[in-house]
Amino acid sequence: MRGASSMLAKHIAVRTLGYVVLTVTAVVCVFPLLWMVLTSLRTPDSAFGKSFIPTAAQWTISAYASAFTSAGMGRGLVNSLIVTAATIVGVLIVATLGGYGFGCFNFRGRRPIYIAILSTLMVPGAVLIIPLFLEFKVFHLLDSLQGLILVYIATSVPFAVVLMRGFFERVPENLADAARIDGASELAVFFRVMLPLVQPAVLTLAVFQFLNSWNEFLLAETFLRSPNLLTVQPRVYSIVGQYSTNWSLLCAAVVISVIPVVVLYLILQRRFVTGLTVGALRG
Amino acid sequence: MSAPVQAAAGQLTPRRRAAGPGGGRPRAGVSGRARGQGIGYYFILPAVVLFLVFIGYPLVRSIYQSFTEWPGFGPSKYVGLQNFTAMFHDPVFITALVNTIEFTAVTTIVSTFVAMVLAAVLRAKWLFGTVFRVAIFVPALLSLVVSGTVWGLIYEPNFGILDSFLNAVGLHSIAISWLSDSGTVLPALIVVAIWQSVGFYMLIFYAALHDIDPELYEAAQLDGASVVGQFRYVTVPMLRTVTSIIVTLNLINGMKIFDIIYVMTGGGPDNASQSLTTYLYSLAFGGQVAGAIPAIGYATAIGVMVLLLAIIIVAAQLAIGARRRLT
Repeated sequence: MRGASSMLAKHIAVRTLGYVVLTVTAVVCVFPLLWMVLTSLRTPDSAFGKSFIPTAAQWTISAYASAFTSAGMGRGLVNSLIVTAATIVGVLIVATLGGYGFGCFNFRGRRPIYIAILSTLMVPGAVLIIPLFLEFKVFHLLDSLQGLILVYIATSVPFAVVLMRGFFERVPENLADAARIDGASELAVFFRVMLPLVQPAVLTLAVFQFLNSWNEFLLAETFLRSPNLLTVQPRVYSIVGQYSTNWSLLCAAVVISVIPVVVLYLILQRRFVTGLTVGALRG
Repeated sequence: MSAPVQAAAGQLTPRRRAAGPGGGRPRAGVSGRARGQGIGYYFILPAVVLFLVFIGYPLVRSIYQSFTEWPGFGPSKYVGLQNFTAMFHDPVFITALVNTIEFTAVTTIVSTFVAMVLAAVLRAKWLFGTVFRVAIFVPALLSLVVSGTVWGLIYEPNFGILDSFLNAVGLHSIAISWLSDSGTVLPALIVVAIWQSVGFYMLIFYAALHDIDPELYEAAQLDGASVVGQFRYVTVPMLRTVTSIIVTLNLINGMKIFDIIYVMTGGGPDNASQSLTTYLYSLAFGGQVAGAIPAIGYATAIGVMVLLLAIIIVAAQLAIGARRRLT
């Protein structure tokens, strides 16, 4: 009897501890974001007040209005949308072709070329940034969205090819052969037979790429100069410098930059999680 | 007490490993895919061209440039190893190196451990388990610019919530200016990095936990293993493969740390939070000293050092992995 009750007590203690740990962690994770959202929704001068939750008179969405009108967040969103969409399309085309080539064909030099690409996955961006900058200067691609799209596609391709190769490798080869015997051209085999088979992987890669391009800062900050070309991350950063005392505006800009990610996350939750983890586990 | 559990775990390890990431991929006989010998080239061509032009060439140029002195215009001058020897007489480089190592070591240890514990806790059934999981994961969706901006406001000494809270509970003495104190700036940045990334690593652990045979936990319970014992003798050993991947990711991300520091402190105060990447960036793209001449050769040499550190990390990881497979 005593044993049973002490076990029960122990069980309750463990459960309670578990809830405490989870609650504290969750609050620590979410609280800064909640505070940010609340700050974005109050009048600028009340952001420095003592109250955590705005009083009735302090609620306003004026910070969002000025984020769009004077701080250029609208332009930033459009630029990011263009860059991210174009990058996703570019990476998907190049990486599915490349992954198929490496995964389903045998040719001289296949292995050394693949290993060369694979081994650059760990090269930190900071190593490439200076020579890339100089190269883009020569090509007159600095300070242009096209240039940024190109550098995003190029730097994403190695990982994306490695990822797609893994998926193409697992497709049974007789499917392609059957199509070939039926007289399908190599391109038809790729588009009609192989690509549909790896469709889930393509979607996962697209989500992974979306998050990477949307959140990228170092290259965008370095390559873009004109204020009207800035994507959201450098835009937010410049707002931090420019309006450092207007916390409502800062927070509104941050919230605006995050909304597309959160919306997509809510729509594609499962895909997001696999998209992120697949990157980690294969990379 | 737990010997049987360990034995059981040992027995199942091969199966776990086979199911692990990349491990059990069926080696679809590429040799059997001899068809269309030359056609493969066409498919890889776009990827290879992009790779050569935007990664291969810059990488080679970077290595070449690291042996030169170049202010960004005019001819560059070959100086041999001078940039590399100069580093170790450069106090800012030494600070940046030490900071980078400290940053990497602390974030790796803390993130990995916290993420693993959280995943193990979340594996049990909880009321609102999904809510907790999503809440802990949410910061991972944010960019480092966003995380840096929000935490910059939190740390702000006059109106930031951290110091407001500390003052409210009477801890006036530690309500300091976290980011402008050279003693606290690095830990403050480390906290942000961990906050931002731990949910992501937690999720990877969480996914991997589902591959562990529940019978192992039942066996451990029958043996009288406590919750901590189960974690120690079942969870930790069974997650070994995933843990080594996460440690490597953490190490590489630590080496690359740029955005958070650049956004929150710019390497200040007085270089106290400079990392290798922020330092090389400031040398190449200005900002270090107003009007300073860019030191492209020296900056790329620091980049090459970052690359060497990354190579060492990956090589160590591969060596440890290989040794583990032998034993």
